[in-house]
This record gives sequence, structure tokens and C-alpha cells, in this order.
Amino acid sequence: MVISKQNVSNWYDDHYKIVLFIPITIVAICLVYIVGFYIQTGDIMRKDVSLAGGTSITLDGTIDSAILELKLATIIPDVGFRKLTDVTTGRNLALIIESSVSPEELKNAISSLGINLTEQNSSTEFTGPSLSNQFYKQLMVALVISFILMSFVIFILFKSFVPSVAVIFAAFSNIVISLAILNFFDVAISSAGIAAFLTLIGYSVDTDILLTSRVLKKKEGSVNKRIFGAFKTGILMTGTALAAVLPGLLLISGLPVSFKQIFLVLAIGLSADIINTWMTNAGIIKWYCESKNIK
Amino acid sequence: MKLTLRVWLLIFVLIFSFLAIAPWKVLDSGVLIKTVNKTSAEYEAGLRPGMTIHSINGNSIKNIVSYTQTISEIFQTAAQQKITLTTNKGEFIFLADNSPDITISNVPASRLKTGLDLSGGARALVKAENISLDKGQVGDLVSITTERLNAFGLSDIVLKPVSDLSGNNFMLIEIAGSTASELKDLLESQGKFEAKIGNDTVFIGGDKDITYVGSTGQDAGIYSCDEYQSGYTCQFRFVIYLSEKAAQRQADLTANLSLNISSGGRYLEKPLDLYVDDSLLDTLQIGADLKGKATTQIQISGSGIGTTQKEAFEDATAGMKKLQTILKTGSLPYKLEIIKLDTISPTLGKEFTKNLVKLALVVFVIVSIVLFIRYRKIKITSLVILTMFSEAFITLAVATLLNWNIDIAGIAGIIAGMGTGVNDQIMIVDESLSKDANRLPIKERIKSALFMIFGAFFTIIAAMIPLFWAGAGMLRGFALTTIIGVSVGILVTRPAFADMVERLGEN
Repeated sequence: MVISKQNVSNWYDDHYKIVLFIPITIVAICLVYIVGFYIQTGDIMRKDVSLAGGTSITLDGTIDSAILELKLATIIPDVGFRKLTDVTTGRNLALIIESSVSPEELKNAISSLGINLTEQNSSTEFTGPSLSNQFYKQLMVALVISFILMSFVIFILFKSFVPSVAVIFAAFSNIVISLAILNFFDVAISSAGIAAFLTLIGYSVDTDILLTSRVLKKKEGSVNKRIFGAFKTGILMTGTALAAVLPGLLLISGLPVSFKQIFLVLAIGLSADIINTWMTNAGIIKWYCESKNIK
Repeated sequence: MKLTLRVWLLIFVLIFSFLAIAPWKVLDSGVLIKTVNKTSAEYEAGLRPGMTIHSINGNSIKNIVSYTQTISEIFQTAAQQKITLTTNKGEFIFLADNSPDITISNVPASRLKTGLDLSGGARALVKAENISLDKGQVGDLVSITTERLNAFGLSDIVLKPVSDLSGNNFMLIEIAGSTASELKDLLESQGKFEAKIGNDTVFIGGDKDITYVGSTGQDAGIYSCDEYQSGYTCQFRFVIYLSEKAAQRQADLTANLSLNISSGGRYLEKPLDLYVDDSLLDTLQIGADLKGKATTQIQISGSGIGTTQKEAFEDATAGMKKLQTILKTGSLPYKLEIIKLDTISPTLGKEFTKNLVKLALVVFVIVSIVLFIRYRKIKITSLVILTMFSEAFITLAVATLLNWNIDIAGIAGIIAGMGTGVNDQIMIVDESLSKDANRLPIKERIKSALFMIFGAFFTIIAAMIPLFWAGAGMLRGFALTTIIGVSVGILVTRPAFADMVERLGEN
């Protein structure tokens, strides 16, 4: 069979409802996973020291981290390590040591292993447990408020129920899928990470707004044609956004950890947005057009 | 191509942004004075933070390196030297036998200010222990702490009240180039000074009871250092003047004291005990001749210890300075608790800045390639890229005008804004270059693109607004630059871009 635009269009007409349920199933699986994660850990995400409280010390320069890690773990049981490496040379740029203990305790433990910590060669971040707890709660509240405000804007913009709910559902799905993936890979989320989720709310609905306006507000061509036209523009938008985000994750090393996390959340979220916009939202809009007899 | 009003507006805003950021300052030479020790000869000569040093004893100073070199050449011997400093505020002459008691930095390359996480320093988020403060109380706390830190010689500081979503109020302190332990010392002691005779308070720290605190010359100094056990101890003393009321209180309290027999009647039976934060700092014997007299001049003393004489001397000097500060500024109204304390090494900040610039270049190249592959037109691709950079540049200028320090979160926000910008421009280009047979006139199509752009604008604003308050505003920089970025987009660059694309479409 020759693949032509017409064939694709016909196939989509016959199967779009099935296509629509693929991402919905993925979202459902992710939701179940997050609930399972919650039951297991008591929280919907793994929090880093900025949200759970504790100390994080960044040691600049090349350090033989393997021995340090082993020895430090015997002094401070809950210590964790992350490395900043130069992707091109593989050289260690810095070692990040995290623990729930106070800065003094962690510093003393590191110094006792013969490493001289100065203000020049290290950075320390300490967040008290009461603050981090508040921090976390408030960022979650901010996330919910963001979502509600965004939903308002969408309702005001489109003034019809089903298309608005479709956009809001896509934004919700982006968050759920991203969070499930981060949890699955055991990524500890920082305050910057939650800020990235907020950005994702605002950022990922761009393509949904584009799709819904093109399909509902325009009369050029068929519904399928308008969806495809929107897809061409939208995929370029997401593509350039990913092109801006991915180098920070894959090519350039030695960026701040908070920065990497923002990029990681955006990269996962924007990728999820491709399926949520062009499979779910497009399907719902097409269904809506058929039922309302919009051509 | 005839330029429309919107394009002119963009050009005007860009020129204005250029003037606001002042990138030509990169050509300036000299070193900037960050702090001047208030008890130093330099301070007495009139040197103040914020001045730029251009030459020392006729040697021109270009940067920190030439400053350090010149100073070490001048003070090769321990002899006292005459120093002539030429600054942007005139010439200052003083005598010194050691390098000037000031801290310096290179002159900034532009008016753009970078945040602590890029320049290095210490930051603390502070709240009052056991009580929650209202906005007014935090305001008072900020002004008193500012005074205390200034009196201590730290002037390159940012102190501001911050509040969070639940209405908690905090004080945020940032000190460039300072260390966490210094900051902790200064904040964790409330600095409640009391001088007592028995259980009666004679006077307390602050300008209500103390009218003058000696800090230089005959009025203050280290007067002796001795070997003590396995180390050394150094004694300091300085003079203070009491207000008449406080002096009268002392007179009333001493009037009924009898003489101390064991001292041979030279002193009164009870001494004057000096307490800092409820722990005894020193005990001063009161001379018999002072009984019942309203004396306004009092000599305060104390000591410092160390394993070497130098260490003991430094400890005593630091102790004296701290005590002088407490006596001058009075106690902090609340006992403070540090709930967040970060120190960022300047080396790491430099590395970050370098890598962020590298990242910007890579993103620029990749986004250009993606756009060119899609549109195959140099004009459109470069228009999108130029607009994207204009937006980032204008955002930086607005942040500069708002006196906002650009930190890592802020840069992430600028990138988020740039991303939205490119997305919007793609929508405009695709709408206007649509080749559909039944297409609407170009004006209508651009109007439809602008509808989507406004929609996207309001959703991102809606998403960012809660971040302004959440978590004591620690992520405000991110929210602010994102909001500035998209607002600049919608008000300035997008309309101009739409006009330019419209022209391209018509052609």
C-alpha cells in the first residue's frame, strides 16, 4: 500500500479513538505507579535536601570519590553522592555530598578524612527541616494554584467545555507522566524541579492552544487538515524547545544542579506533551467536531 | 523596507536596554572598594565603599592583580608609608604600615548584577526563635541588623524582609564574598549587653544609654599581651560615654554600697558585671571614689586568647570589635534562628557562568539549524533568532533597572522566556506563510496567531504567579525573569516580529 496523505487521513478517521486511548492508558498506569510510590514511601516524589531538609556540600575539583564515599558512609549512614562530570573528557568537576545532618557535622566528617574544606573549594547549602517542610508544602500549593489559574485562562479562551477540558487534561497528563518517570529513575526532586513543573504547565499548553484554535476557530480545509497543519507547527515548536533544553542535559557539563533539574523535567514533560497533545487532545477535538458536526 | 511604528518601538527599547546594561563598562579599569573598616585610618581619611581606585602613589591600577602587586611593592618593609590613593571621588592621603584595611573587587563589566550563586558568598534565611513576626517587626529587625552589620564593617550586604504563602515573615541576608561562619556568628548572638551591679541593671547596649563608643586612638586598643598557661592572652580596652540618665542610675546604685575591705578599701563591695547574652563577659571593680557619683565615662575591658601571640591579638581585636558593635547598636530585638544557610564558592560560580555562556552558544546554533531546516529561508531564521536574543537582552535590562540580581534561577527563567518566544514566533510564521487555497488575508491570519499567543502568554503568567510567594520567595528570580521575558515578548518583540513577517509575507 502506498502511504499517501489521503491514506493516513482515512486511517486516522477510522482509528483515532483507539489512538486516543493509548496515552490515556499510559497516564492511568503512571497514576497507579505514583499511588503505589506514595503507599511505599509516604510521598508522591523523592525529595532532595532542599525539600527534605539537610546539608549539601559541593566539593570543587577532582577528588578520588570512591574511597571518600566508602569512608564517609561509615561515619554518616544516610550520606548520598552525586558527581558533576565533564561529558567530553570524563573528568570530575565536582562532588556533591548530601545528608540530613547539620553542616558542621558533615564538614567535620569530611575534614576527618583528610580533606581540607575552605570557602574557596567548596559550597555549602543547608536547609532546616522546618523550612524545607514548609517549602515543599508551599511549592505543592503553588503547583495546584498554577494549575487552577491556567485552567481558568483556558476556559476563558475557548468558552466551551469539552475542548477546554481536553487542554487541561493534556497539561495534567504531562505532569503525571513526568513525575512517574522521575520516580521510576529514583531522581530526587529539588525546589527548582518543582518550579520546572510549574513552567511545564505554562509551556506545554502552547501546542494545545494552537491545536484547539486552529481546529475550532478556523474554517480552512477539513478538520484532519487543520489538525495536521497544527501538528506541523506544533511539532516544530516542541522540537525547538527540546533543542534548547537537551544540550544542557547531554552536551554541556558543569552546569548548576538546579539548572539540570529544570531542563530534565522540561525535557521529559515536553516529550510527554507530544503524545498528550497529538494523540489525546487531537483525538478528543476530532471527536468533539464530529459530534458537533464541525467541518 | 519601511519600518513600522512597532519595529521602531523595538529598536528604541533595544537602544534603551543597551544604555541600561552599559556593556561598555567592560573597558573601565581600576578596582572597586567593597568595604572599608570603620576603625581604620583609611576610613578616617574619607575612603568609602563604592569608590573606584585608579592609582596608588602614582602607579596606575587596572585590576585586582595590579592592585595586589602595587601594594606588596609598597609594603616590602614594615616601615610606615605615605599612601596616596586616586579614586573617582578624588585623592586620599594617609599613613599606613600595612596593606589598606579595605576589601576590593574588579570594577563590574556592566551594570548587570549577578546573584550570589554566580558570584560567591553567603546567604541566610532567618526567623525569630519561638515567635512569629509580623511585617513591621521584620522591617525593624532588618534595619537594626543592617546597622549592626554595617558597624561591623560589612557593607556589601543585601538584607530584605521576605514572606511566604502562609504569611510567615523572614529576613534574608546575602553577603558577597563572606563566609557562612562569620554570618552565623553575627546573627546567632542576639547581642544583649547588660552592665549590672548585683541584680540591678545600670546600663544596656544601644544609643539610649551609651552616647559614645571609642574605636580609635587613645579611646580603644589592645594594651597588653602575656603568656598564659600553654598559650597567650591579650587584653583590650575602650572608652564609652554614658547618657546622663544611665550615669545617674549608676550613682544611685553605688551610693548605698560599702567599701570592699579585702581590697583595702580601694574598691566598692560589689563590682560592675558585664553580661553579653546573659553570660558574664567581664567584672570591673568600681573605685571607692566613684561611690554615689554620676560618672559618664567608663572604660570597658576584655581579653582574647590564642596559641600564638598573633592569634591572641587577633582574637582580642575581633572580640573588641564585636563588643563595640553591640554597645553601639544595642541588642537585636529577637533571638534569631537561621533556617537556611548557604555558602557558594566563587570558583564554582565562575565555572557556572562560563558553562552557561557555552550552553547559550550551543542552543543558538542548534535552534538556528532546526529553524533553517524547516523554513529553508535565511531571512526568517535570522529574524526568529534575532528576536529571541533581543528578548533575552531586554529582559536583562529590565532586571538591571529593577536592581534585581541575576542568579541561576533567573537565567533559567530567561531561557524559559526565550523558549516561549521562539514558539510564538513559529506560530506567527506558520500562520502568515500558510499556503492554503482558502486562506484568509495575512492580517487576519496574524490576528489569529496573536490570539494563540495571548492565550499562551496568560497561561504562563498564571503558572508563574504563585512562585512569587511560595517558599519565602526563593524562586522569585525564576518567576520574575520568566514573566518579564514573556511580557517583553508580548508588548515589544512579538508585535514588531509580526509586522516584519507580514512584510515578508506580502513580498
